[in-house]
Amino acid sequence: MKETGLPAIAFNRIACHDCDLLQTTPRLAVGEVAYCMRCDAVLFTNQKNSVDRSLAFAITGLLFYIIANMFPFLSLKALGFVQEGTLFSTSLSLFKAGMPLLGILLFLTTILFPLTTLLGTIYILMQVKRDKFNDYTAPVFRFLRSTDTWGMLEIFMLAVIVSLVKLGDYADVVFGISLYAFILLILSLTLMSHSLNPQDVWTRLRNNMADQP
Amino acid sequence: MSSLPTRQTTNDEINSRIASEINSDDDLICPCCKSIMHSRKPNSLNRTWALLITAMILYIPANVLPIMAVSFWGDGQPDTILSGVMQLLKAGLWPLALLIFVASIVIPVLKLIILILLLVSINTKAQWHPKDRTKLYRFTEFVGRWSMVDVFVIAILVTLVQFGNTASVSPDLGALSFAAVVILTMFAANSFDPRLIWDNLPEPELADESEQEDDSVIEMNGDRLVEK
Repeated sequence: MKETGLPAIAFNRIACHDCDLLQTTPRLAVGEVAYCMRCDAVLFTNQKNSVDRSLAFAITGLLFYIIANMFPFLSLKALGFVQEGTLFSTSLSLFKAGMPLLGILLFLTTILFPLTTLLGTIYILMQVKRDKFNDYTAPVFRFLRSTDTWGMLEIFMLAVIVSLVKLGDYADVVFGISLYAFILLILSLTLMSHSLNPQDVWTRLRNNMADQP
Repeated sequence: MSSLPTRQTTNDEINSRIASEINSDDDLICPCCKSIMHSRKPNSLNRTWALLITAMILYIPANVLPIMAVSFWGDGQPDTILSGVMQLLKAGLWPLALLIFVASIVIPVLKLIILILLLVSINTKAQWHPKDRTKLYRFTEFVGRWSMVDVFVIAILVTLVQFGNTASVSPDLGALSFAAVVILTMFAANSFDPRLIWDNLPEPELADESEQEDDSVIEMNGDRLVEK
């Protein structure tokens, strides 16, 4: 294994991640999006205040994440019994029902990956803001980018709605505090990933490396 | 990220600089993020085929075996994916039936078909509509995770409907197979490299223009910018 130096082209060329066409990095005005000339993939965007906004949404999201995990999102009343469902108990109940693999899957997609996304984004963006990076910045950011699709809270929310309609006929369904925190959490996560421009992070990181060889 | 310039690159300076490094047997490490660089995803076609074939095999038990068993007063009734959709239809909840039908049946099948088509098109070195094929790929990549909705519904029902002998829901093997199908197709989409679609095409005209002055390229890029 050997390291290549940082080539000068890294600063003014961009390769499309879908078709690999190497093109000159365009300069974007605020709010513009750069598309690949050949296959129309989104190369990068220039969002207003990208770093500040995503950091704000990440911190907001983290607060809602804590609330969403503390209380039940739905409870079911039937025959004098009340059955509550929290995020964690949903994963746990699959374990108890003899489906440990499904339990792990649920734990990863609805609890762990959303948390790593929030914490990791805060960690990275704090560094970007102070313009101080360490050896872990790049690997952590790569990990975040690759686990992005595995946080499935919005899909879980859709599943909550489906179950709500399904159960509505048979029993009283009570909304928990978590359900509201959940909706706000998904909103924060969506706005966060919308306002975050990975290109900004990589550019800062590269500029930082070039300054201190 | 600085990715490795490939055959599309016409800039001699970059080519010669990179070529000497490619020819060595060592893995190249990205100077920025310290990960190993590949010009294409390693073993993309084999991995994608393997994952897809496994997904296709598991698709059978996912649809034949019950995904969950609902029991009222000890009267158990197993549900498959399709029978669950039918029940929703009978209950008059057609929007919900449509949602589950699309998420659990249409999307997985569509995904399998699209990925197989893409793989075949690359194996046969087809030059057919590369832009549309890339769009199909982006579609499968984006839409695949939504199939998980049915698995999550089962999980929520299993958690909430636990009233001893009176009413209970328990997950069944179909759910496990179905979740496996969704995950395997997500991994398959992930291991597929859309750049292979473009590798079969003749050298693009666009590459010639990148040899010109940088300013003109920026201008040309500017034309392609679309405001959001």
